[in-house]
Amino acid sequence: MLSRVADNLYWFSRYVRRAENMARLLDVNGQIQLDLPRGAHIAWRPLVNTLGAGAEFERLHGADTPTEVDVVHFLLVEPDNPVSLRNVVNHARETLRTVRETLPQDCWVAINDLHLYIESNPERAGSRRHRPEFLGRIIDGCMHVSALLTSNVSRDTGYQFLRLGTAIEQADMTSRIIDTAAAGLIQARSDDDAEAFQAMQWMGVLRSLAAYQMYRRQLRQKVSVELALEFLLKNREFPRSVLFCLSRIQGILPQMPPRKQVEQVFRGAMGLVFDANPSRLAAVGPCAFVDRLQQELSALHGAVHESYFQA
Amino acid sequence: MDWTRYRSSTWDELVASDGQPRPAARPLLDYLSSLSRHELNERQLAADVTARVMGITFTVYSEGRNVDRTLPFDLIPRVIERREWERTAAGLRQRMRALNLFIGDIYGEQKIVNDNVFPRELLTESVNFRPQCVGVKPPLGVWAHICGSDLVRDADGTLYALEDNLRIPSGVSYMIENRMVAKRVFPELFDTSAILPVDNYPTQLYDTLAALSPRPGDTPVIALLTPGIFNSAYFEHCYLAQSMGIELVEGGDLFVGDDDICYMRTVYGPKRVDVIYRRVDDMFLDPEVFHPDSVLGVRGLLRSWRAGKVALANAPGAGVADDKVVFTYVPKMIKYYLGEEPILPNVPSYLCHDAKDRAYVLAHLDELVVKPANESGGYGMLIGPRSTKREREKFRRLIEADPRNYMAQPTLSLSTAPILGAKEPEPRHLDLRPFILSREDVFVTTGGLTRVAMQKGSLVVNSSQGGGAKDTWVVDLEEAA
Repeated sequence: MLSRVADNLYWFSRYVRRAENMARLLDVNGQIQLDLPRGAHIAWRPLVNTLGAGAEFERLHGADTPTEVDVVHFLLVEPDNPVSLRNVVNHARETLRTVRETLPQDCWVAINDLHLYIESNPERAGSRRHRPEFLGRIIDGCMHVSALLTSNVSRDTGYQFLRLGTAIEQADMTSRIIDTAAAGLIQARSDDDAEAFQAMQWMGVLRSLAAYQMYRRQLRQKVSVELALEFLLKNREFPRSVLFCLSRIQGILPQMPPRKQVEQVFRGAMGLVFDANPSRLAAVGPCAFVDRLQQELSALHGAVHESYFQA
Repeated sequence: MDWTRYRSSTWDELVASDGQPRPAARPLLDYLSSLSRHELNERQLAADVTARVMGITFTVYSEGRNVDRTLPFDLIPRVIERREWERTAAGLRQRMRALNLFIGDIYGEQKIVNDNVFPRELLTESVNFRPQCVGVKPPLGVWAHICGSDLVRDADGTLYALEDNLRIPSGVSYMIENRMVAKRVFPELFDTSAILPVDNYPTQLYDTLAALSPRPGDTPVIALLTPGIFNSAYFEHCYLAQSMGIELVEGGDLFVGDDDICYMRTVYGPKRVDVIYRRVDDMFLDPEVFHPDSVLGVRGLLRSWRAGKVALANAPGAGVADDKVVFTYVPKMIKYYLGEEPILPNVPSYLCHDAKDRAYVLAHLDELVVKPANESGGYGMLIGPRSTKREREKFRRLIEADPRNYMAQPTLSLSTAPILGAKEPEPRHLDLRPFILSREDVFVTTGGLTRVAMQKGSLVVNSSQGGGAKDTWVVDLEEAA
């Protein structure tokens, strides 16, 4: 396995997983918006920061309060936003282009098809009526690629890098989506409302991670901040929880060439999540914890990059 | 679709001058006649979509960015009768045997020069002669393992060799993918004729490369060296590496150690490479020997090759025979090395370094096609009958300044085949590029890549200049009967 190829496979699976999570997040927020009473609305602007494009957004839109269409357009299809979903899919495609020969032809066809769909329908992202279909198509496209990877790729070293990318990206996106709720997703009219919207907000987070149904099945309780955090951070059975993703990485590392640095950084991340106390996080707000978690994940990425891709 | 009015001004591959289909094309044309215009349009659209979705592209530089274009694909295949193809393939095998003997001789004893069959001055002035290759004896004595020869047919139906691309010929992936597209959108057509398959090329190529390994007996590690994603043929590099299951590497992925062995950088550490199918031009292959600032190549690669530690296909220096002036000597090479008569004729040529030929060329610039010896892609040519007086004067000066670098050929009236026009089938000029693989024996593709000028009347078929492609059928009439 060439170092350059491993690097690209890793990023390809990260981009695909990122695109899928972004599409889910925006889809769910659009739906919540429709359920809110008049006067209350989704605070779209924090999503921009959550997805790491604050500076770019301000450059394009200034510091005024943006509209839903501004933010959605910017996050989904803005060509000048390097992390817009459109560009994430472009990156996935460009990354795969350089290692096309290592994955089944179908993967290329699928990602190319997704790319062409976005490029020929960008106006659909802005329209409330067409957006669900647009995002649904993107989620389906990403899931299609994931299914092809799972079903048709030999379990060689390259596959381990694909899995590693998916697991790190999902852990990262889960932490970012938790952050959107922590930052206050819904702008309420009064404190009473805020209370009522709390549950709605965390239901939205669970839905953005396709976790709501699994949460209900497993916990059989209405949604609370503490239980939602417990589920998304530490659940051992739900595949998008942070702990699940880290456990998956724990299973992947022994199948790769051993590197001390990676193992060490990994143990740090695992320890942090293991020791997290959801009831306390619910009380003080999860923002600081999410920041630390993202630093750990970023360090893990850095260690993988140095150990395998820069050799 | 109405074929009754279809006529070509020259030889047509599918329809004879009396408007009747040629025997090998009859079932195809009967079938096409039975389809409505609407049905045909639908299929052309399906073909375009398939090509786009499959990402069958080539890359063009435009305003500082690289843009992917799909190669225009015309639905109507070009048909060749099997017996004619077998004769042509025999001619190509003969050419390749002679060309490889020539290259080996040039970098060895130079018998052909000493015997005054090939002029020494052509060698000393050749930009593709690599002194670094003198004395090297590559495995099996083969230098040009992969060749793409361009064939054209004149108005009287004669098939001529136009040039042999021995450096880094491209296009074979389009040949294979065109067939896939054709099968997908026109499955019924494959019932009308006995069409020979084309998809064994990657297997043949793999065997050709594997035969070069310096570690026979062990499974060789083979890599395709690409200049990278910005190269116009990058799609093909991926395609071939993928179909053969070999590594696709860039210069930065390889290095040559102090032991002269070539390694690739992997996640496990360095791994030895035995054979490199290089799609990087000679001059960029090794900054230690050629362009010192090249980042596409690998420092020390020539050293490793000369030491026999790694095999390169095509061998560096093989391009010495890929030169439009050297080309004119191929019939003589065939006689000299093989003692045989050429099966496939060369396009008649005039060499400007020869005083008599040069006088003729200068007097007939308005009738001839003038080509520089070393350009490819259809650049830098003068097409006499379509040229302006100013262009002809420019070429007169160019030829007088550097006669060795120019040759001229009569303007062939390239054959045509029908493409799907806006209303009716319309004739367009085309050529054919078969691919020839040389190891102990010589393999020729079944047919090849048909390149077609999509513009009415145009003779330029290169993809970089608006050419398209067709599927190429070699049809067995005897089996069908």
